[in-house]
Amino acid sequence: MDIEFSEDDLAFQQKVVSFIEANLPKGMDMWTKRNQWFQALRDQGGWDVPKWPVEYGGPGFTPTQRYIFDLEMARHATPPQIPFGVGMLAPILMNYGSKQQIDRFMPGIRDASVNWCQGYSEPGAGSDLANLKTKAELSDDGSYYLVNGQKTWTTLAHIAHWMFCLTRTSSAGAKQEGITFLLIPMDDPGVETRPIITLGGSHSVNEVYLTDVKVPVTNRIGEEGKGWTYAKGLLVHERTGLAGIQNSVLALEKAKANARLIKAGEGSLMDLASFKNKVGALEAELLALEFTELRTLSQVSAGQGPGPESSILKLKGTEIQQRISELNIEAAGIYAAPWGAKSIGPEFARGATSGYLGGRATTIYGGASEVQKDVIAKNVLGLG
Amino acid sequence: MDLSLTNEQQLLQDSIQKFISTQYSISERNKFIKNDQGYDNSNWQKFADLGWLAMTFSEEYGGLGGSTVDSMIMLEEFGKGLVVEPFLSTVVLFGAAIELAGTQQQKQNLIPAIIEGKLIGTFAYAESVEPNNLSAIQTRATAEDGGFQLNGSKSLVFNAISANKILLSARTSGQDFDEQGVSLFIVDAQAAGLTRTDYPTVDGLRASELHLENVRVESDDLIGSLGSASGLIQSLVNKGILGLAAEAIGAMETLYKSTIEYTKQRQQFDHALADFQVLRHRMTDMFVEYNLVKSLCMKATMLEAQNSAEAQRNIHALKYLVGKTGRFIGQNAVQLHGGMGMTEELAIAHYFKRLLVIDAQFGNTDHHLNKFVG
Repeated sequence: MDIEFSEDDLAFQQKVVSFIEANLPKGMDMWTKRNQWFQALRDQGGWDVPKWPVEYGGPGFTPTQRYIFDLEMARHATPPQIPFGVGMLAPILMNYGSKQQIDRFMPGIRDASVNWCQGYSEPGAGSDLANLKTKAELSDDGSYYLVNGQKTWTTLAHIAHWMFCLTRTSSAGAKQEGITFLLIPMDDPGVETRPIITLGGSHSVNEVYLTDVKVPVTNRIGEEGKGWTYAKGLLVHERTGLAGIQNSVLALEKAKANARLIKAGEGSLMDLASFKNKVGALEAELLALEFTELRTLSQVSAGQGPGPESSILKLKGTEIQQRISELNIEAAGIYAAPWGAKSIGPEFARGATSGYLGGRATTIYGGASEVQKDVIAKNVLGLG
Repeated sequence: MDLSLTNEQQLLQDSIQKFISTQYSISERNKFIKNDQGYDNSNWQKFADLGWLAMTFSEEYGGLGGSTVDSMIMLEEFGKGLVVEPFLSTVVLFGAAIELAGTQQQKQNLIPAIIEGKLIGTFAYAESVEPNNLSAIQTRATAEDGGFQLNGSKSLVFNAISANKILLSARTSGQDFDEQGVSLFIVDAQAAGLTRTDYPTVDGLRASELHLENVRVESDDLIGSLGSASGLIQSLVNKGILGLAAEAIGAMETLYKSTIEYTKQRQQFDHALADFQVLRHRMTDMFVEYNLVKSLCMKATMLEAQNSAEAQRNIHALKYLVGKTGRFIGQNAVQLHGGMGMTEELAIAHYFKRLLVIDAQFGNTDHHLNKFVG
């Protein structure tokens, strides 16, 4: 048992840190120069697509290198990549897409010129995703599907060019059967996108109405009726990616710094036992969760699949994200109340409540916490 | 980075698992704790014969050169079996002090005897005035005729009833709460002027209050340097915490797994208890929290083994989580066993009680949370 990274891994870590320091745009440039940053990652030889296999232009990282890469990117708060194309559709295309589909769609995913969104959830299919009803009927001549239905919680649908979409082509058998995976252009006249404003006041999710949308069969991934199998593998992947552990490490440091700005008696909020102990409890659990991620990595490096520990990451990681956001509204005090005011109270307080409210979604999306617990109980503990 | 066990560690783990599954049932264990000394002598001799007592000592003195990681592996297994023999007192605390700070002569005299199973040792550091404060030492050691005379008392000394030698902190200079001026001595358990009040602890182990009245020790009974033992005491307390944490993890694993098994068998309302989602989720919570403590235990142990500056902070966080999670898992194990969970007859009761005592030792949940946040 050895906690140290190997010399090679440490050298790689140094390389990643040097790269970030040399190329990451500073301050406000972070947003305006995003494209420049992603171009620098591409020029490095596939660092923009760290999880892709070498044959598709990925860097061929070992599991440990990939961990180190993600760790340093998070530690340096580099601009996040929109995950739908690179992280979610691309692996499905690589595994199940036709040569023609790969040639057609992968370049736009890689250079981020085409935005994708994920058409999975529906009003009647949330945690019980397989209950989806959006209907796709094959035309008599077998050349296209006629799609009718409604998708919801569709993140960034309003800026997407395409949607990868689960549709129902058959109601026979178990509800996981008869689901078909289609690629739908968002500029089709039958596609209508309406915004959903969430608790935190922001617009990132949408309703998408599909009315008589004609989707050529060449836009179908794999076989008809096998869409659930294609999507399922990815859901597991989505869950482990949502723990955001390193982001939480940064967020907690920031929350502590914010609390130090708030005067309380002779000292600051961080000197009050009631606040300080909450911070400590959270920090201790975060230390433990960080190492739980390393345990998972160690198993993957040893050639085993991710062990039961990996199922903990999303469940606990999102709970910790939410608790950190609670610290921020507590630190904001009376300034947790104003909404949208630009110059009232300390700067951090202006986003504290909307951050807290928006963050309630983390234990709902990607499989609600209760679903995660069902999964652990069934698959890991052999219950039910 | 590699978190898997080496072949040797795997063998060590297997041999302890085999011993516990074949020779250490919970009913046997509950007989051992009825002995005066609270454990079984022949078991201790087996530990020696199997090389377990030698594992962490250096090869120079007959040990096998293992590290805190090996100690963790052993104690985790001991925790699963709720082993009561004085491994922590003798090897992890007393033995480590000799190994870390003993003179060559002291090592030669004591380490081989520990390894052979002939010497039981323990560590007396806490005093009733402020047990969590390692500098709150009112016991005095006064220099006299080339040796020292000890006067004072020590609290909650585990295994003192069976110990041959006691490692004991006493003040050789300064005021009662000074960090400086504390020294460590080896006191013979039979020394004139040393009296004990023995009692069982909640988990069936044995502890004692020690009273020292003009107890004579020689200058070569001093361990480490005169008047500056506080660093060594902190190191020993850290080793004790890591050892208890490993034991606690073993106990928690047994508890959550026993609870799963029980709820699969037990029928109520025409269903197995495990069919009820509220109970399945509770057991999932037990599993999740167990894994977090296990992760932190591995991390803190490895950091300590390499003398990392980060170790101390992680050890405080660990002891906090051990106490908090130990109670969470213990309480829920009892709750999910229903009325049966309240009986002495079921093994889970004994695991729960052990976890409560582990929380109390070396500073509890609250104490270490405060240390952690600073």
